[in-house]
Amino acid sequence: MSDEIEIKNKIKANSSLFTNFVKNAVTASPKVQNNFLEVSAQVALTVKKIIEDANLIMDLDYKGKDFWLENRCKTSCFIDGGVDKTSIISSAPLSIRTGSYIVKPDAEDKNREFFEESMVFLGDLYDPKNELYDLADDDFEEDQMLNKKKDGARIIFEAVTVVKHILLNRKFDYCFLHGPIEATVMPFTVMGFPTFTKFAVENMLPFYNKNRLNAEARHFVNVYLEALNHIKKSKFPIYGIVETSVSAPYIKNLLYSYKTKGIISDKDFKNTLATIKKYKITDSHLLEIILKSGQALKPIEIKKQIKGFSVTSGSAWEDKMDSFPDVNMGYIKTTDHSSPIRIESLTSSKNIKKDYEYILATARLLPNYGFPVGLNVVDKFAKIPNWMSKVSRRYYATHLLKQAVKSKDQNTISLAVKILSKKVRSWRNRPLGGMAK
Amino acid sequence: MNKNKWQSIGTVLGETNIDHFYFSLKNYKAKKGDIITTESKIPSSEGNIVPVTVWGKISSIESSNAFFPTEAAQELTNENIDIRDTILPTTRDELICKVIILGFTLKDNLKLMPLNYPVCPASTVSYPSSEDVEALLISDLDSDHPLFIGSLLARDAVKIRIDADNLVSRHVSIFGMSGSGKTVMVRRIMDELLKKQYPMLVLDIHGDYLGFIQKQKKLYPDNNVKLFYPNLSVSSEDKEIIYTLIDKLGNTLTDPQKDFLSSLLEKVKYEGGSLLKYIELLARKAREFASDSSKSFKNIRPASMYVVVRSLGQVAKKLKNMEQTNFRHRQKMSKLKFEELPDAGTEPEKIIAKGQLSILYLKGYENLPASAIVSILLENLFRHRQEVEEEIPPFLTIIEEAHNFIPSRSEDKDHLPSVETIRKVITEGRKFGTGIMIISQRPSRLDETIASQCNSQIIFRMVNQKDQRATTRDSETLSVDDSKQLPNLANGQGIISGQVVNFSLPVQIKFDAELINDDIGNENFISAVENWDDKDSVKQRKKFAKDFSNITSIDKRRAN
Repeated sequence: MSDEIEIKNKIKANSSLFTNFVKNAVTASPKVQNNFLEVSAQVALTVKKIIEDANLIMDLDYKGKDFWLENRCKTSCFIDGGVDKTSIISSAPLSIRTGSYIVKPDAEDKNREFFEESMVFLGDLYDPKNELYDLADDDFEEDQMLNKKKDGARIIFEAVTVVKHILLNRKFDYCFLHGPIEATVMPFTVMGFPTFTKFAVENMLPFYNKNRLNAEARHFVNVYLEALNHIKKSKFPIYGIVETSVSAPYIKNLLYSYKTKGIISDKDFKNTLATIKKYKITDSHLLEIILKSGQALKPIEIKKQIKGFSVTSGSAWEDKMDSFPDVNMGYIKTTDHSSPIRIESLTSSKNIKKDYEYILATARLLPNYGFPVGLNVVDKFAKIPNWMSKVSRRYYATHLLKQAVKSKDQNTISLAVKILSKKVRSWRNRPLGGMAK
Repeated sequence: MNKNKWQSIGTVLGETNIDHFYFSLKNYKAKKGDIITTESKIPSSEGNIVPVTVWGKISSIESSNAFFPTEAAQELTNENIDIRDTILPTTRDELICKVIILGFTLKDNLKLMPLNYPVCPASTVSYPSSEDVEALLISDLDSDHPLFIGSLLARDAVKIRIDADNLVSRHVSIFGMSGSGKTVMVRRIMDELLKKQYPMLVLDIHGDYLGFIQKQKKLYPDNNVKLFYPNLSVSSEDKEIIYTLIDKLGNTLTDPQKDFLSSLLEKVKYEGGSLLKYIELLARKAREFASDSSKSFKNIRPASMYVVVRSLGQVAKKLKNMEQTNFRHRQKMSKLKFEELPDAGTEPEKIIAKGQLSILYLKGYENLPASAIVSILLENLFRHRQEVEEEIPPFLTIIEEAHNFIPSRSEDKDHLPSVETIRKVITEGRKFGTGIMIISQRPSRLDETIASQCNSQIIFRMVNQKDQRATTRDSETLSVDDSKQLPNLANGQGIISGQVVNFSLPVQIKFDAELINDDIGNENFISAVENWDDKDSVKQRKKFAKDFSNITSIDKRRAN
């Protein structure tokens, strides 16, 4: 039976559903899309007026060849972290590494560029001897918590890598981190999120609270705050660069500042924020329309950790949120056809235009993707490739089965098989009817 | 072997098998064609685990820089930016080599054995010392009579030898484009075989091997180097060849005319000798038959007979022309002593003798007569080797421009008498010590049966894909990776495969400058024209040409 006939038969068999499905696609969806565009355009128009009023748009200069000739003497460091996402019921292997790509274009070949594996951790989160987190007494630990632990570890490792470079007195002109310079700590304030082990903290931040490393001091929130405070003291500029913004912190804060100045009313502020939330409008959406290629938004101070917000509300860590430094957040539209990239730093720079022009130039080296090429390079270097994760999973599986078979106990073997086939019950593997091949 | 001297150059990657593996190479530590090793373990037949050294040849290298995005190249080009001025990485090339496994050796024994257990992934890959590679090649070759031919392409210090016994008995083909190094290779082999007093017969169309005559006294005082020009001598047994010659060289004959020619050859007895004289005799006799109203040929009209007479005259004329062309070429090399080719049927020892190199200079002869000469010559020599008396020693026949003598069936030249003869000699030659070396720039135009009988191949630069395919088709040991390398080989660089070496090797052939024929020149035609001066006869003609031209130009009268 040809594909075409088969599809026609399928449509015939599901004629009523198919008709409605198509009707929905050609009528309802475009209506929703139109409305979204209309709302986005209106919000953008309003925001643009405010941005212009606040004189926030900067025109950046990019001179290609001349720029690089002038800047070939600068040393830049690009940092990114990679984490292995493999896990099976019986174990939660954790492999994290952060890499640094340090480059000084005009240096001699052997000193021109360095790829440094700055921090590495290999362990298992279920291992009692695991030396990263204290074992949490939680019988209902789920994938979500495991992933949080992995994310927390990666965020700490990246921040600590920056700190390491600062402490080693590295002479950088610029340092760039792939991702926010200050992550939202809210997900790690939930009850039961384990503390780092003493050993881990001593290794990550050897100078930190040497005398009283109690459980509170070893919690993610405190360790991260300590790292951020060090980053803030850096002598060289450090920027966190985010590829796509999934929220609208810049716009919300801008509107908030206009509200506090009394330029926009409380009601308008609240309604606009509600619209932004309802339509899931992000900074990227709006600024893509507002900014032209080579334009940037000057950084504004933004509070990343909002007290009383969602999960942190009522948490033991609520009061700690105010201690976190504010972030200077700006945007650069690097090319015509890519959404603006978010630039974050913990300090305000005197040479913001020059700094942004440097970021723009590094992004122009990826003329389609429009993201600093140094971060793309270090991303590839630090990333734990799929094949490595696959091999590791295969190894765990083989090991588990071997142990089970060794026990010669049918129940143990059957349990091992069940554990390994956890993912078998997925939609792809649903039983087929009829003459299934 | 001193493994301490071996340098670590890489690590074996992921999946391996018993034929090949991949490894990650340190920058600039090895090249394509290099021989490398890795330590591994194999199970012995007694059930023990035995440590072995696995040897392999790098068949390809791929370099990539995963950290250098394609779109960055686009920006560098558009903006004319030098990559070294930017933050883009320039030193992270990843080199992945494919290695064809040659075999393994056991400790203290350099005999290569076929690997039957995969190489261990993640093992270190080493670059063995030149002495150890050479020792391995010699040991593996296990030859009583090695011939030095050059050095390993990737490593000059590793001298390469091939097995003379397999070379002279199992037949060799040497293919490559014009100027790629075929003749250099043949001269190298001839030099080595001459030193071993091995008799050789060279069918030389261009005079590429005349240097051996010029340098004989100096380089080969113990050898006898003879230079022959063809003598179209035939015997009554060669009727078929004579018939083909007349049929193909003369006018196209109708069936009755062909019948007459056939009968003529039957009736006119000849004791043997010059072909030209025989053809003239045939022409005379044919005329007689035609003029006496053909009592002997009642069914054939005199007109048909006269056609045959004219055709014989044409054949004779062509043969004379070819003889004269060959003679003129010989005259240009007046310092060389040319002898008439002796009758291989009655005096084979004058052509094939211990320590003798016989060169048959065929320049000026068209394919068909040259093929006939070669066919008659080889038939006779082969017969002498077949006979119990063995009047001549084993010998090697070197056939230059082989596509002229053994064309492929697709060339529609099946009638060439040399095809059948060489097919017979190459098929049975192994038993009788009549080895053949075929040399050609167009392997795709060679007779497939003959080419496939060559158990060893030496292939030089080759761009034509048809020829590349023909080469790999005829060779059992030349890999696809080897054939991919063929278009990129430089002059004098070749790949040797087959029984003379056991595994294919890329080789730089030693160039014997002293064996070049001084009289042939270096094909530098631009200089020749720059230094050109007309001969006296030409000058005279030019002197009067203008006067005659003036007469013609003023003559206005209409021709009658």
